[in-house]
Amino acid sequence: MHVLRHDGQGLDEAKLVEDTSRLADPTKRYSSNKIESDVVCKFPNGDGNDQPKSAVPCQLPLRAVPKPTINRDVKAWDITEKFTQASLALNTGQLVKDEYFTLFESIGALEIMDPKMDSGFLQPGETLEDDYDALKPLLPEEVIGIMDQLLCYEMAWHQGYPLSQTLFTSVYIDKLLWPDPRSLEEAQFYRGDVKLATEAMHDILRAYCLAIIKCCDFVITKITSRDYFEEEDFCTHTYNRQLLTQVPLDFILHELELAMKFIETDQTSPISAELKYALLARLEFRRALLIALFPDYSASFLDKYWPPVSDTLPRIEATHKFGRPVPGSFSTKLQRRLASTVPPRPVVELEFKDAFEKLVQLCVDCEEAVRYTYLEPSPQEYQSFIWAFASRKPQPLAYARSYLSNFIFSSNNEVFEHLLREDLRSLVFPEDQVLDPVNWTIESPRNPMMPKDKRLQMASLIDEFTNRAIQNYHELWTALCQNRCRMRRMLCHSMLAFDQLQSDAGVLDDDLHALSSDIQQYPLITWVYHHKLRQIEWVVQLGFEQEIYLPDELPSMYYWLSKIAETRKRLLMTLLEFFERRQSKMEKGKKAEIEKAERVKEGKGYIESLLAEASGTKELAEALSSFYTHLAYLKLLPTPPRPFSNPSLRYELRMKPFLTLTPSEVFPFAELTAQLHPYGPYDNPNPKPNLSRILSDSVIWQYMDHAVKSAKEDFAKLKKLGAKAARAEGVKGSWEKGVQGCLLSCVAAGVAIATVKEICKGLGKEGVGGVEGMKKRLRVEIVEAGGDRVGKRYHEWWVVPKVVKL
Amino acid sequence: MSNSDAQSSTSDLRYVQYHGSKESTYLPAIRQLISKDLSEPYSIYVYRYFLYQWGHLCYMALDPSGNLIGVVVCKLEHHRSGTFRGYIAMLAVQEAHRGKGIATQLVCMAIDAMAERDADEIVLETEVTNTASLKLYERLGFLRSKRLHRYYLNGNTAFRLVLYLKAGTGMKRPQQLDDSGELPAQYGYSATSFDEIGVRDGHPVLEGSQVP
Ligand SMILES: CC(C)(COP(=O)(O)OP(=O)(O)OC[C@H]1O[C@@H](n2cnc3c(N)ncnc32)[C@H](O)[C@@H]1OP(=O)(O)O)[C@@H](O)C(=O)NCCC(=O)NCCS
Repeated sequence: MHVLRHDGQGLDEAKLVEDTSRLADPTKRYSSNKIESDVVCKFPNGDGNDQPKSAVPCQLPLRAVPKPTINRDVKAWDITEKFTQASLALNTGQLVKDEYFTLFESIGALEIMDPKMDSGFLQPGETLEDDYDALKPLLPEEVIGIMDQLLCYEMAWHQGYPLSQTLFTSVYIDKLLWPDPRSLEEAQFYRGDVKLATEAMHDILRAYCLAIIKCCDFVITKITSRDYFEEEDFCTHTYNRQLLTQVPLDFILHELELAMKFIETDQTSPISAELKYALLARLEFRRALLIALFPDYSASFLDKYWPPVSDTLPRIEATHKFGRPVPGSFSTKLQRRLASTVPPRPVVELEFKDAFEKLVQLCVDCEEAVRYTYLEPSPQEYQSFIWAFASRKPQPLAYARSYLSNFIFSSNNEVFEHLLREDLRSLVFPEDQVLDPVNWTIESPRNPMMPKDKRLQMASLIDEFTNRAIQNYHELWTALCQNRCRMRRMLCHSMLAFDQLQSDAGVLDDDLHALSSDIQQYPLITWVYHHKLRQIEWVVQLGFEQEIYLPDELPSMYYWLSKIAETRKRLLMTLLEFFERRQSKMEKGKKAEIEKAERVKEGKGYIESLLAEASGTKELAEALSSFYTHLAYLKLLPTPPRPFSNPSLRYELRMKPFLTLTPSEVFPFAELTAQLHPYGPYDNPNPKPNLSRILSDSVIWQYMDHAVKSAKEDFAKLKKLGAKAARAEGVKGSWEKGVQGCLLSCVAAGVAIATVKEICKGLGKEGVGGVEGMKKRLRVEIVEAGGDRVGKRYHEWWVVPKVVKL
Repeated sequence: MSNSDAQSSTSDLRYVQYHGSKESTYLPAIRQLISKDLSEPYSIYVYRYFLYQWGHLCYMALDPSGNLIGVVVCKLEHHRSGTFRGYIAMLAVQEAHRGKGIATQLVCMAIDAMAERDADEIVLETEVTNTASLKLYERLGFLRSKRLHRYYLNGNTAFRLVLYLKAGTGMKRPQQLDDSGELPAQYGYSATSFDEIGVRDGHPVLEGSQVP
């Protein structure tokens, strides 16, 4: 215990003890989060689960009332007096801190009697419990209103807010879940042993609520089965409530069906046809959603799950207007009864319109995710799909992402090992003896002294590599399935793992070379290196997308990108040569060989596609780096004064993720400085030759024009090679859009460069003024990234400035 | 270097270092000022956690009558990344006095104090939409190092900002990074960076959520 004396309302801790003694008497309805959490440690049975057996309907039982009598070994003492005495020895504010008192604990602490922290604190006249009567008769309009409000909260939960601030504020949901029902039968709006007659409207609402709860249960099951980040992606916390986990799906479907049947056949009640229609739409929607969310899906019907959900949505939207809100049936007071140590928090209000939009998105995204299972089974096709999915705007919700991840990772290890081998095949072992399936069928010689068959040795080497690499490979895929921010950070780690792998691969490569001379030089290293370089590029490119880099960092970050892409380009060029050699050699062979040559040629298309993309990236990055450098000389890039920093420290910070890479990719700071300061410091350029003279000469701009032109040619080539060569046929549309975005970025860069060049022509001439005057003639706008929406950049990875003549 | 950068219109303000003996005078005002911009308050222990251990890294701007106009609260300790890391935990200036360089002055004093105590780097988080704060720190030399998805309780996303004070900081590695080639826990999924502690555990996050 951290003993503190605190002025104001007296002693926190002593107060706590006092309250504890009160709590021991279950008839006193006094509750506070702080008390709950602390008391739990003192009374072993207070695990928050033991509900009083004799719950009287409408009289809400307190959660987790500790009952010292249950365990006779435990005795309680009132230490208030002792504690008060002991703490009198301390001054107000004096902290006796031991090393176990961490920031974490300080944040977790709550203050009793502070209305913002103490959930048991009552304002004058406020009641502790909510007094909404869940059995009061409801109009059909009200049922619709409640259903739609529940939907809003459900979608807020999907967005990442906890149940306590969303669905668990519903009195109806609370009634169904607490006390923990032992059977579905027990989950009623009235609770207790006495069965009460309920009205039809209640039955309908109950069926809907049960289905929502079950939906939540399925959602949590799915999300927790994959890698996700609690609270960042999603809150799975259920505050010790069972979300009908034990109740089979069929039971809930049955409840929904009964409710639907009632509405369809009902002749007696005066409900209008349109209200019936609205109620039915909602029940049908729940039914379809529940089935779609069911974790044990049938693989052969995968494409049949989500369309029926989407089909019900227009009806819900059209009939939303019939609903009549019942705000009284939601209350933050219910948070007091949840097993939690956090203070009461405001309800998360999501407008129906926004919630509905999220719901539509969820259905569409899940439907899209299903397409993964129909892709041609190639690692590149899969990864193209994953990238496209992660790039969807708005970003798919956590559920949709784990839905997709489930297809990706649910398969056994062998499938992933197969993917890895396929990945090797397409990059470094085209129609290669090393991956010949026959190699895996050869048996070891009986006599261990006999030399092993070379083919068997190759298979063993590849197996060894696969064993070593599979985890890294798996983690790379995992990184691509995270939210975009995480993705970038996890790629930083994955990149380092590949770096390690690269050095390990060398030994195996040597062994392979000893077995065969007809293979790509250092095939495994090459494969790992290519993957690593690509990840470095992604880290930087996602940095542009996430607005990590400030405008005056663009010269150096695009320079860095161009260097990495250049290295990758060189690597791919040697691969392309190898593919070509192999192709022409096989073309000269027998029939079987000629067929293989055809396949090598097809595989070459993939290398060409990668090459075009790497080359385009290198060229456009180079052009932009140079262009931004010149804008810096023209004083058109905002540059903070930064009294506490210097360029070399900032360079070190920027390069930190890459500093340990082997071979070293990071070039010395001096090289960067020289590269980015061809005419001396930006604010104090070399006097000779004069800066105005240099910039007015079109020669320097030609260099940029040329790079832009090359980039354009590369991207045009990429486009021409097409989605099939790029192994992105499954997501052709978005792949083409991406390439088109790169092309348009080139065009925009060309225009921007031309505009500045034009103005600079006159530099130094009379009436135009020098470099200093450029601010009056030109304005440079750094186009913002789109974030979760479709943005203004042609491609999120290409920050092309907009230059405006003034 | 920086103390002289303060703008002159605020010349009637006094900038003073916090001291534990001043708790009863200043803590209530500090709490009030900070919690104004938080959707949820911190308990008094959070303030004491920082002020008790790093009171010397807390600076206050006081008007002539001794009213608290602005405050910065920091900590400085060895981080498991291997660096001696300063952390700016809280910063606020009274609304009526904003835009006059008061926060800049406070942050400068805090940075100077941490640099003097040999800090390798200083980090903090701020909401991606908090223009004033981003501008302030970036003007001083901070860079954005990462984006933190839904970092705050209100669901808002943050930038982590970093300022290196010493060369070689980027090369510092966790002590545990050994020759087994295994990455330290920090690289695992369950990484709970100290500064990110709030998010992981559902408690208010330092630097807090601005009420719109
Ligand atoms: C952030 C905060 C401490 C800044 O205090 P301040 O004393 O106004 O700061 P300064 O005057 O030193 O500098 C702020 C800079 O941001 C600029 N700024 C302020 N509001 C801005 C806005 N809405 N848009 C753009 N720039 C803005 C100011 O103009 C100034 O830059 P300049 O000197 O180049 O003009 C203050 O706004 C505050 O208390 N905010 C609420 C709490 C908070 O956000 N804390 C920081 C969390 S990390």
